[in-house]
Amino acid sequence: MAEAKSIPRRASGGRLRRLGKAALRAIPRLYAVAVIVIVVWLSYRALAYLVVSLFTPSRAPAQITEIPTHLDEAVLRTRRADWRGVEASAHPRVPPARYHRIDGWIQPDRFNGCAQAGCHRAFPHAHRPEVRAFLNMHATSVHCGVCHLLGEAEPLVAAWYSLDSGRLRSAPTVLEVFGWMTSDEGRRQLAEPSRADQTRLVSLLRAAAREGNDEPVLREMADHFAAVRHASPDFQRLVEAAREALPRRFRGEYGAKLALVDRATGGPLLNHPGTEAAVRAYLREADTADESRRATLLAAVHPRRRPQALHCTDCHRVEKPLLDFAAAGYPPARIDMLTTPVVFRMIEHIASGQPFYLPTFVSPAEESERTRPDSLRP
Amino acid sequence: MAVGRDQHCVTSGPDPQQPWRAAGWCRGGPRRITLLAAVIGVVASVGAARGQDVENCLLCHQYRGLGRYDAARDRLHLFYVDPDHVRRLEGAHARLACTACHPRDEVAVIPHLPVSRVDCTRTCHFQGADGVERRFSHANVAAVLEQSVHAAEQLSNLSFAGGPLLDERQSKCLYCHDEPVFREARFLRWAASEAGGLGLDRCETCHREQIPTDVAYYLRHIGARLQPARAPLGQAQSCAVCHADPVFLEGRAIHNAVASFVRSFHGKAALLGEESTPDCRACHVARGEDAHRILSRNDPASSVSAARVADTCRSVACHPGADARIASAGVHLDLPSARGTLEYGLAAAFIVLTVLTFGPSLVLCLLELGQIVAGRHHGAGAAMQALTRAVLAHPEGRARLTRFTVSQRVQHWVLAVLFVLLALTGFPMKFADQAWSRTVIDLFGGLGPARNVHHWAGLALIVGLIVHAVYALTVTLRPRGTRVDAQRRAGWRALLQMPMLITPTDLRKANQLLLYLVGLRADPPTFGRFTIKEKFEYLGVFWGTVLLGLTGVVLWKEQVFAGWIGGRGMNVALILHTYEAFLAIIHVGILHIVNVMFSPNVVPLSLATITGDTPIRELAEQHGEMVVQAARDLGLAEPAGGAHG
Repeated sequence: MAEAKSIPRRASGGRLRRLGKAALRAIPRLYAVAVIVIVVWLSYRALAYLVVSLFTPSRAPAQITEIPTHLDEAVLRTRRADWRGVEASAHPRVPPARYHRIDGWIQPDRFNGCAQAGCHRAFPHAHRPEVRAFLNMHATSVHCGVCHLLGEAEPLVAAWYSLDSGRLRSAPTVLEVFGWMTSDEGRRQLAEPSRADQTRLVSLLRAAAREGNDEPVLREMADHFAAVRHASPDFQRLVEAAREALPRRFRGEYGAKLALVDRATGGPLLNHPGTEAAVRAYLREADTADESRRATLLAAVHPRRRPQALHCTDCHRVEKPLLDFAAAGYPPARIDMLTTPVVFRMIEHIASGQPFYLPTFVSPAEESERTRPDSLRP
Repeated sequence: MAVGRDQHCVTSGPDPQQPWRAAGWCRGGPRRITLLAAVIGVVASVGAARGQDVENCLLCHQYRGLGRYDAARDRLHLFYVDPDHVRRLEGAHARLACTACHPRDEVAVIPHLPVSRVDCTRTCHFQGADGVERRFSHANVAAVLEQSVHAAEQLSNLSFAGGPLLDERQSKCLYCHDEPVFREARFLRWAASEAGGLGLDRCETCHREQIPTDVAYYLRHIGARLQPARAPLGQAQSCAVCHADPVFLEGRAIHNAVASFVRSFHGKAALLGEESTPDCRACHVARGEDAHRILSRNDPASSVSAARVADTCRSVACHPGADARIASAGVHLDLPSARGTLEYGLAAAFIVLTVLTFGPSLVLCLLELGQIVAGRHHGAGAAMQALTRAVLAHPEGRARLTRFTVSQRVQHWVLAVLFVLLALTGFPMKFADQAWSRTVIDLFGGLGPARNVHHWAGLALIVGLIVHAVYALTVTLRPRGTRVDAQRRAGWRALLQMPMLITPTDLRKANQLLLYLVGLRADPPTFGRFTIKEKFEYLGVFWGTVLLGLTGVVLWKEQVFAGWIGGRGMNVALILHTYEAFLAIIHVGILHIVNVMFSPNVVPLSLATITGDTPIRELAEQHGEMVVQAARDLGLAEPAGGAHG
C-alpha cells in the first residue's frame, strides 16, 4: 500500500522538476523577447523621428500653443495641468478676450453628475442676471446638490469629495490649518511652539498649497515658517500674519467640493441616484418631446430635486443655518465669516430685483465723468 | 493712487500683509484705516481686499467662479480678478482702481450695468508720489502701432481657427496684451531684495519725509520696464496666438514663424526656460525703438530687412563683432519647408547614412536575440574550450587573453562619462519641446550651466580623442616580438595592422555571421581580439568624435567661425552636429547598451571593461582566433579544427 502511494508521489515530483526546468529555460527566452520588443520600439521611434523631422511641416510645440485662446466652456472643463502652455510659463498668456490674469486655474469637477451627464453646464446659472454670477461662484466649492437636492436630514449633512477621485475626503487643509491656528489649543501651542508644531504647520501649509492649484502664497508662507526658528519672535510674527492672511485663501480652490452625503452608500451625492436610464431618455427625446412628455422626463431625471432651491440665508445665517458647517469641517472662525448676515442679505436684496448702489461719497463725481469713455459722454 | 506716508507701510514691498513676501518686515506703524474701508467695513470680515482696491471690488471679484456661461455664443464671462495681483502689486496696473478703466457709473451698481469698451489710449489720471495728479495715456503707443505691421486696419481683419478671439467691442490691444506683470529684472534681483527689505527699512529711519513713496515698488516697476515685458517663452506664446494659427497663416501665405523659431537654438533655449535668449521682439524690433514698431521685412527700415538684419544679429547685446555673414544663419530654418537647399540635402544624406549604419547593427542585434528566443546556440567545441582553459591556466595565459588593458578600460570609462554628460546636456537641447528636457536642464541649474558642461565635456572628449590617438599609435608602433615581426610592422604597414581596423577578413566574417544568424550557415565565425561589432562601434566613436568635435567648436565660437564659413556654413555645422549626435546616441543608447548590459548573455553587465576578463565561453566562441594565437605563442597544442575547435 505504501509502495503504491510512493509511485505517484515520485511521478508528480518528476513532473514538477520538468516543469521547473522548462520554466528556467523559458526565462531567458521571454527576457530576450522583451529586449527585442524594447529595441524595436526604440529604433522605430528614432527612425520615425528622423523621417518626420525632414518631411512633416513643423508645428509650434505644445508649450507655446496649448494655452486657452478662447474663453469657451472647455476652459471650465480642463485642468491647469492639461494646458502645457499654461504650465510652461511663469505668467501664462490669458485668452485674448480676457484682460485680467488667471494665474491659478478653475478646478474642473469631473464627478459632478449634473454637469457630466450632458444636461447642465459647469457654470449652470444663466437666467437671472442679478445673481447668476454669485450662484455660479459656488460651483467651484459646492456641488449642485447642496442647494438643489433634498437632504435626508436637517441641518444638511455635507462632506468634502476630492476633485481627483470623486470620493469623500477630509476637509480642505487650508481650513484645517486655520482652524488649528485660531482654536484655543492652537493658540496655546503656537504661543510657545515646539519643533513638532513648526513641522506640522509647514506640512499643513504645503498640503494646502498643493490642494489649491499650487497656491504660491501658501507655499511661500510654508517656506518662511520652515526657514525661521520655532522659538523666535519672527515665528510669532509669521503666526499673527498667517492668522490674518489665511481667510483670504478661502476662495473655493481646495481640490475638493462640498456635497451632501448619501446615507445609502456613505459616499457623496453627486447626482440623482439611479437615474442613468432616465437621463439617457431625456437626452434622446428632449428636443422632440412635447411639454407634458418633457415634464415627465424631467421628473424622472430629478427624483430628489428640492421644489425650491435654497436661498443664501438658508445657510448663511447665524441662527440654525441649514448647512452644518461645523460638521463639514469648517473652523468656528470661518463659520463666523460664512454666517455674517450682512453680505448675504445684500445679495438677497439684489436677487429680489432691487439694485445695490455702492457708496459714492468717497469718490468725487468728476471721477466718474473723467473715466467715462468719450463715446458715452453727452 | 495716493501713497501717503502712513500708507507707505501698507503698500511697501510686495505685500506687507504677507510678510513672507519680503525679505524684511514692515515697520511703518499702524495701518491707516481709510474712510472707505470703514464704510465698507461691514463686509470686511469676509476677507475685504485692501491694497489698492479702494472700492472693495475684490470682495466679490476675488472668487474664481464668479462668472457665467453664454451658451448661445459658447462664451465664458469670467469676472474673476486675481486679488494677489492687486495686493502684491504685481504689475503696473495693480495700482489702478477698477474705476480707472471701468466707468464708475457702470460698476457702482450691483448688478453692474453692461460695461463699455475699455479704451487703452484714453487719458487717465493718477497721483504721483508727491501727491500731484498726473495725466497718463497709451496714445503714443497707438501712434507707433499705426506705422507697424500691426496697424489697426490689419488687426481688424483677422480670422482664426476657433473663431474670433475678441468681441468687436474689445480693444485690439488684447491680441497681444493681458494684465501686465512685473518681470523681475535679473540685474536687480539682488539689489531689489536688499533694497526691498532691510535696505529701505533702514533708510526710513532718517528719510521718512524725503522718500514719501514706495521705493521698492518703483524699483520693481522700472526694473521690469528695462527688459521685455515677457520672458521669451511667454513672448512666443503671445505671438503664436496669431502666428501659429492655421487659418491666420492660410490667409496670409506666411510660414509658421513660431514653429521655425522654436527649431532654432534661440527658440529651444526659450523652451528650456532661458530668459536671456532672443525672442521675436529682439530681432524684429530695432534696438532703441519702441517694441510696437515691428515692420515688414520688405520695409528697408525694418530690423530684419536685407540691409539691416546683419547689424541686428551682431548688435552689442547679441553677437557683437560677428561677421555680417552670420545673418544668413537660419533662425527660421525649417527643414521640411527648405527642400532643394543644401541644408535639406545634407539632412537627407545624414538620414540615409543613419539608416545604413544603424540599420545593419540593429539587424545583427535583433537576429542574435532571436537566436536566444529560438533556442539556437552553436557553442565552441570541447577542444576549443579545453584549449581556452589551458591558455588561462598558463602563467602568462590570463594576460594574453585580457582583451582590454587597464589603460584601455580607463579610457573607455572616461569616454562613457563624457558621453553621458554630453548626451544629458545635448539631447534636451535637441528635443527642447519634450517635458523631460526642461527637467534634465533644470538639474544642471538651467541652460547656461548645462551649456557650459556640454562645451567643456566636448572639449574634454576632443582632448581624450587626441590622447587616445597618440596612445594607439604608440602601442601600434612600439617594437615588440621578433626582429622579423618588428620589420613587418614598421611604418604605414603597422597602421594597417591596428587591431581595431576593419579588414576584408572582418567583412567576410560579418557576412558569415549574418548567414549563420539567418540559418543559412551551420556555424558562426569566430574572431580575434575584437569582434566586427566592436570594431564598427570603435570606428563610429572615432568618426563621430571628430565630426562632433569640429562642428561643436564651430557652433560654440559662432562669432569667429561665422566670418569664415558664413551663416549657411553654421547651418551646415548645426545639421551635421545634431544628426551625428542623434546617430551616436541611438547607436550607443540602444545597441551598445543592449550588447553590453541587457543582452541575456551579459545581463546585468559585461565585465570586460571593468576587470578586463572575458568569460571562457565567450572567449572560446567569439574570440577563438585570439585563443589559438595565444596558445601558439605559449607553445600549447592547438585543437584539430583550428579556431572553431
